[in-house]
Amino acid sequence: MHQLYLTVGPTRFRLASTWRRPLDQLAALYKDYPTSQDGYADFTVRLEPEKPWRRYFRPSVHISGDFWLPDAAPLPLDQSLLAAEMGMNLQMALGWRRHLLLHASSVEKDGKALLMTGLSGSGKSTLSAMLAEKGWRFMGDEFALLNPDTGMAHSFPRLISLKNEAIAAMQAIVPENRFGPLMKGTPKGDIRHIVPPLDAVNRMVDAAKPALLLFPRFGHDPALRDMGKSEIFVRLTQASTNYVALGETGFRALTQFVDTVPTRAMDYQSGDQAEELIDSLWSKLP
Amino acid sequence: MSQLYRAAASEGLIQHPLDSMTLIFQKSSGITHMVVDPVPAILAVMNKDALTAEDIAGRLSDSYDLEDSGAAADIVLARLVELCSLGLVEQV
Repeated sequence: MHQLYLTVGPTRFRLASTWRRPLDQLAALYKDYPTSQDGYADFTVRLEPEKPWRRYFRPSVHISGDFWLPDAAPLPLDQSLLAAEMGMNLQMALGWRRHLLLHASSVEKDGKALLMTGLSGSGKSTLSAMLAEKGWRFMGDEFALLNPDTGMAHSFPRLISLKNEAIAAMQAIVPENRFGPLMKGTPKGDIRHIVPPLDAVNRMVDAAKPALLLFPRFGHDPALRDMGKSEIFVRLTQASTNYVALGETGFRALTQFVDTVPTRAMDYQSGDQAEELIDSLWSKLP
Repeated sequence: MSQLYRAAASEGLIQHPLDSMTLIFQKSSGITHMVVDPVPAILAVMNKDALTAEDIAGRLSDSYDLEDSGAAADIVLARLVELCSLGLVEQV
């Protein structure tokens, strides 16, 4: 087994793989991230052949680790980077208990965090990647980590995962040397990863106070809509992977978040429209 | 004789009002219940006492302007049955 230790935000991963290639790809893309020196890891992700002969013959990658899903379909070897990223996300979603996890992207400015959550296709990942190129600090495109004691948002700035049309949109503003390989025809469509800006990596232990939550929705006339606290609470319980597991701690953290963080639903049809709407809200924050 | 009901101990519940609903987190089960009026009021007037639906409707009428106390007791009874199934109220 080949191994790679990787630290993303507060989490230390050990990645183990039958093949060298996925770890070489990861090591290149995560070259500026800290590695664990003491061999300790919060989670292990294993990339192994589904059957022994599938190491060589039509090689396919089966994701396993400390936490895993029994019905997860294996991926072809040329999508092993995606498998590793999915494996790391899975460990966080199913195993992390130190923070309340929200399935949300987040960016920071002036010590304050903007969180964006919504269904797949809402554009939350692309918006965070776009804002990261325009003066905001990228904190993560997959999970926002809320500290239950302080209410602060913590960063989990793994590679930014772009899908389909978002790839070309980001190629217009991000240099080619920050892109990973294009993976065509994955279960999620075409996927290409971007390495976050160096500032996001260097400052990944810096927490930020949640200041605005958005529920973006791509493909509709630009609009902002107020939301009732009950609707926000229900949608955030759906967006959290560990709300139930955290019990009373999760309840107190989430109700405090809903009570204190201004929230809007945001419809938009382009990145420029979204940026304009976000700037208008951000400038009015206390 | 009418059925008596007692609410779960308030120390085991965390109530948190939002706009149109009230959240009730039940520590023993870890379940978050979302309830609407008049459930929070029913739980509040029950306190720790064993009461019938009529008793509860009577206590509610002390605090709220109820038009028909008979209908109110029916509504309270329907909510009590639901609250029993959630484990927030038990039959005594």
